[in-house]
Amino acid sequence: MIVEGRVQIPFRYAAGAAASRFGAALRDERRILGARCTGCDRVLCPPGPFCGSCGGAAGAAVEVGPGATLLAWTELPDRGAFALVRLDGADGALAHRLVDVPEPRVGMRLRARFAPERGGDIRDIEGFGAEGIER
Amino acid sequence: MRAGDRPAVAIAGVGQAGPVAADSRSIPEMVLAAVEEALADAAIGFDGVEAVVTASVDLFDGLTASNVAITEVVGAVMRPETRIAGDGLCAAIHGACELRAGACETVLAVAHGKASMAPHWALTEWAMDPVFLQPLGIDFLVCAGLQACALAQGDGGATERWAELAARRAAAGDAAIAPPRSAAEILASPVLASPLRRGMAAPLGDGACAVVLRAAAGGPGEAPVRIAGAGWDLEPHSPGERDLARWHGLERACARAGLDRTDPGLELAEPSCLFAHEEELFRAAAGIGEEAPLSPGGGLFAGTAPHVAGLSRLIACARAIRDGAARRALAHGAWGPAGQAHAVAVLEAW
Repeated sequence: MIVEGRVQIPFRYAAGAAASRFGAALRDERRILGARCTGCDRVLCPPGPFCGSCGGAAGAAVEVGPGATLLAWTELPDRGAFALVRLDGADGALAHRLVDVPEPRVGMRLRARFAPERGGDIRDIEGFGAEGIER
Repeated sequence: MRAGDRPAVAIAGVGQAGPVAADSRSIPEMVLAAVEEALADAAIGFDGVEAVVTASVDLFDGLTASNVAITEVVGAVMRPETRIAGDGLCAAIHGACELRAGACETVLAVAHGKASMAPHWALTEWAMDPVFLQPLGIDFLVCAGLQACALAQGDGGATERWAELAARRAAAGDAAIAPPRSAAEILASPVLASPLRRGMAAPLGDGACAVVLRAAAGGPGEAPVRIAGAGWDLEPHSPGERDLARWHGLERACARAGLDRTDPGLELAEPSCLFAHEEELFRAAAGIGEEAPLSPGGGLFAGTAPHVAGLSRLIACARAIRDGAARRALAHGAWGPAGQAHAVAVLEAW
């Protein structure tokens, strides 16, 4: 015998200071903000409260992108393509969506595409498309 | 954890239920079958167990707290129980630490998973960071695809090699869950997360494992297998914060277990590789060449239950040592996106 179940529970996650600053800049200015690590000087994007490499606190905001380089990508049936990109001026990589790139190549240049309607989170970037091809 | 004045840790009994594609039994029924087998193997009853460590993950059980469902069948009522939300090998390692600390003399370590209950990969989206990754629909499968892409850079033969490897592993298994397929069939199987094909992923199913650990002085009359070393380690959660083409966390876990790279004494390695490409990451990180047999029974490609994998690898190593097929073996467990977390145990014959 099988007992059917379904879990559907809405959540509200506090993004934290650095991610909130990141979200506000995306929403209001279409700018991508990283944060400079106070420990190892790396520019973190996406910016969390601390550096994943050295554990140092995230410091001053640094504008990065919107240009980026493709580091890795994957495509899933019916779900589209995803990418790891290195934003210009950032260290580390950002995991995001790849849009309208028929033949992705690692190392190719990409550019962030901003959503026309923006709510202040990572989805304000629709994804990364080929540089030079604007919609 | 290394040899010293503290008690050694013997593997006194092992038990297993599954893995099968879909077990019609409930989780407690499945767990009880594994526990009873392990207790019988150790020639003790529930009254011989002093402490219990369980491994299970609420998200994949559709229940919080998932250990509540198995409290009775692991004999944890009125006993100290610890629950670990990670791979089952961590339950055994935690139990070994309890024994080494002198907290008790017999520990039961148990892990269970039932992938047939829900779409497993879809659930993993909920295990991702909710601020930057979850909203984009990034789950463990996406991370595996990105990792395989990173690993295949500048390596034109990677996917063919992974297909051959998956075919070889699946053929060695007992086909409990998925029938063996040729490399050509695997390369022609549907895309899972490019460049990975469906046949390059270990088939997931339902199962439970139980291991009885005992503090022991060593010597004649003791259980024939001991845990000689153990270690575990984490990498950053976000795939962008890691070098996806390396399992640095596994390198550190092996070092913590006192394992030298290219350990000449290893006669068997049983890694937890859910995807074929992970075996190459495992070999590179653990320093395992072609000289030691690796997953002779097919590893996870013979079928596995999520988060039971590492404990099932420990049981595979223990059985090989008991049977005289190896004197020193490495068991590995991994969990999290793209191998974020790793645990290893070195098993030796006594």
